Amino acid sequence: MEKLLLLGLLLTSSFLHAEPHEMGNMLSHEGHLHEAMVDGKELVVDPKRFDLFVEGLKNNQIALVSVQGMVCDFCARGIAKTFGKDKSVTKVDVDLASGKVLLAYPAAFEISLEDIEKKILNNGLNTTDIQIMSN
Amino acid sequence: MANSNSLTDNIYWHYTPNINYSVGLDYQKDKVSNEYFPSARFTYLINRKNAAQSQRNLYLKTGVGLNNSNNHFYSLAGDWETRRLFTSFSIKQSSGVGYDMFEQSVKVGVAPYLGAYGDFHTWLMVETKKNDLDNERITYPVLRFFKGGAAFEISYHKKTDWDIHLMYRF
Repeated sequence: MEKLLLLGLLLTSSFLHAEPHEMGNMLSHEGHLHEAMVDGKELVVDPKRFDLFVEGLKNNQIALVSVQGMVCDFCARGIAKTFGKDKSVTKVDVDLASGKVLLAYPAAFEISLEDIEKKILNNGLNTTDIQIMSN
Repeated sequence: MANSNSLTDNIYWHYTPNINYSVGLDYQKDKVSNEYFPSARFTYLINRKNAAQSQRNLYLKTGVGLNNSNNHFYSLAGDWETRRLFTSFSIKQSSGVGYDMFEQSVKVGVAPYLGAYGDFHTWLMVETKKNDLDNERITYPVLRFFKGGAAFEISYHKKTDWDIHLMYRF
């Protein structure tokens, strides 16, 4: 009986809801790429990190991927390794704090949103949004 | 993964073909009898829930001795973690020559700081365990560190002495 009670308590606790977003370090980017967004959504990314990422990149498209479940360095490492092996990706940045992944592709490359989602899913995580920008 | 405590040393290799399961080989040395116990292991991810700031997992684990199939175990394990908090539980039924044991454990932890990707990460944890052989609950501190693909975990209790885990993910 004691074992059953303990198991029930633990299972219940493991189904707790996630903490609310820690939005303090996620700001709307107001840089030079804002007007180039293709879907009109507000860009939510650390502006300093974004500027650092696009520094030196020319004629590239940037995919901003929002990922759920990326809570540890091992998860982030899996994502970075997966896209690092993709020859069509010129640069990768993984931000654990915001759950965002930045991917740079050549301007002429046709980005497959399905392929990005599949690669994220194969790492055990979920994609909630992808925004494509060009610079 | 390598593990050392007062009773056993073991090394465990596992391969994860996809997120749903992994297969592995465990090689254990009993420090009392100096015997070796190789075993095959299987882990199945029953359920995973990804949320914006958390991940929850439920696993079924099993293993069987390669020298003697009477040595086997099965367990149900789960965890829920954010970047700041960690909780896990495990219930495990083990059988071997001359014994059957049911063990339950719970671990809770907190990250004292939130490192960025690639940083040195630290977890301060407490684990409590009880099995039906000695029917005594033991509770002890656990320190977990990791950086890149390497993780190191160390714990101590006066009854079980030091317990050290090393892990590397390729």
